[in-house]
Amino acid sequence: MKRNSKVGIAKKPFDTKTISLRNITPYLFIGPALIALVALVVYPLLYGFYISFFKTNLGNRWDFVWLKNYLDIFSDKTFVTQVWITLKFTAIVVVAHFIIGTFLAVVLNQKRKGITFFRTILVLPWLFPEVVVALIFKWIMNPLYGLLNNALLELGLITENISWLGSTKFAFVSVVAVAIWKGYPLVMVNVLAALQSVSEDIYEAAKVDGANKIQTFFKIVLPSIKPVLTTTLILDTVWWFKHYTIVWLLTNGGPGSDTSIISIEIYKQSFNYFSFGKAAAMSVVVFFICLIISKLYRRFLDNED
Amino acid sequence: MKTNNTKTGMKRARVISGIGTYTVLVIASIVVLIPILWMLSTSLKIESETISIPPKWIPDNPSLEAYSRLWSEYPFLTYFKNSIIIVLSSVFLSVLFSCLAGYGVTRFNFKARKSFLSFLLVTQMFPSIMMLIPYYKVLSTYGINDSLLGMIIVYISFTVPFCSWMMVGFFRTIPLELDEAAIIDGCSRWKAFYKIILPMTLPGIASSAIYAFITGWNEYMFAQVLINSPELKTVPLGIAELNGFYKILWNDMMAASIIASLPLVILFIFLQKYFISGLTAGAVKQ
Repeated sequence: MKRNSKVGIAKKPFDTKTISLRNITPYLFIGPALIALVALVVYPLLYGFYISFFKTNLGNRWDFVWLKNYLDIFSDKTFVTQVWITLKFTAIVVVAHFIIGTFLAVVLNQKRKGITFFRTILVLPWLFPEVVVALIFKWIMNPLYGLLNNALLELGLITENISWLGSTKFAFVSVVAVAIWKGYPLVMVNVLAALQSVSEDIYEAAKVDGANKIQTFFKIVLPSIKPVLTTTLILDTVWWFKHYTIVWLLTNGGPGSDTSIISIEIYKQSFNYFSFGKAAAMSVVVFFICLIISKLYRRFLDNED
Repeated sequence: MKTNNTKTGMKRARVISGIGTYTVLVIASIVVLIPILWMLSTSLKIESETISIPPKWIPDNPSLEAYSRLWSEYPFLTYFKNSIIIVLSSVFLSVLFSCLAGYGVTRFNFKARKSFLSFLLVTQMFPSIMMLIPYYKVLSTYGINDSLLGMIIVYISFTVPFCSWMMVGFFRTIPLELDEAAIIDGCSRWKAFYKIILPMTLPGIASSAIYAFITGWNEYMFAQVLINSPELKTVPLGIAELNGFYKILWNDMMAASIIASLPLVILFIFLQKYFISGLTAGAVKQ
């Protein structure tokens, strides 16, 4: 990679003049991926869209109900509430990822002893499977034998055991905390990689101009790593908006539907209540929400380029 | 800062910021390590000790029984075999497809080029939950629900778009002059691709392989819905199942968790730089 960048990044993305080609060659190259995309992504998506117009058990019963599923989910307050819970969950988690991740990346972006060691430790949550993360914290937050309650009792911060995942008061916060713990390294790693590609000259120039460290960071460094931040922001938002595993294993969406984020609701509609049409309609709505979020991000973050 | 620019002042500032740096890093590391060390500690306990109050960090009778039970009393060997088959196949296929696509998109000008690229980008926004119900139905229509092949298909549907997107980023960094030179020297298109250009994208291949590996190795939701047969279950399913028993054996569960996490931690230690370069490769320029 390094060797290549010295040669220079290709300016034109393609070339047709010097090399004569038959028109079919490019399709031979992108063919497999294209077929995979059409067969495995486009087709299921369209099929999901199709299902959303039916009342169906996916077997022998297919009643075409027009837009009834959509009307149902929007007239039903629970779905709107769940979208709201999901948005709240995603917003808190992503903002926390960015604050913690960027802060740690800046701290790690120094030449000091032991930095590599700390970097490896701080990246660990990213490497543990979601199932594992969920179960570790389920164990730590266990009301009777869990580490958390016992430590807090010992410190005198609480007087009786708290059901972290089973009480309305704490379940949402606990789930958010676990999601933050699991997800911040992705932001940290991306921002760190971007910071390391910022050339030293920029810092020098800022110093000569009399900018202090905080000014340099917000006015010069952040704008220069914006493309990476934007991409990371979109990916992180979509990933956590559609998140399922950790929350499902921690609380099953409960208590009540306090932590019932949208993926869990879709799962329950499908495989507990067998309302596949309704669940498919919810999925379509989720798709548009994700699309709108990413369009908004692009609108606000990319306009200067 | 400006007025106090003497050498001792700078030195003091550096020492102070050093203390700040290490304080932050140590606190953050403790927050990260406590759950991990607690998992390790629990996995080394015998059952009665896992539920002792107050909890003990260092077990009185450390034992590896929980680890050996994974292979003797639970079918984790089968779970691992299934996970490895599914993950390696999907890694291989998605790397193959995305290398071809990356080369095709960056080397040729053709009609569908632009729409293909923007489609790759849009697929990143698709919430995978959307595919759950369609796949549940489609795979059973074709008789490959509850099969390893079905899972491979599902996982490459996640990884092919993202890996292709990454590989396009990597192929872009390789100058077109190299292709031209190779072709002028008498190479065919395919030969120029796999003999000259492909070897130069090895870092990119490593990155997308790692991404595909992580995705497949960790995936839980689709496996939970699509796999019913006990002998086809994957590692995440197997671990989560330990959570479902009436009586949860925390030491066994934590031992399984450690074993399931090891492959990624080991991969990371040896291939660190590829973990990082891949995610940002596509970000540089769309």
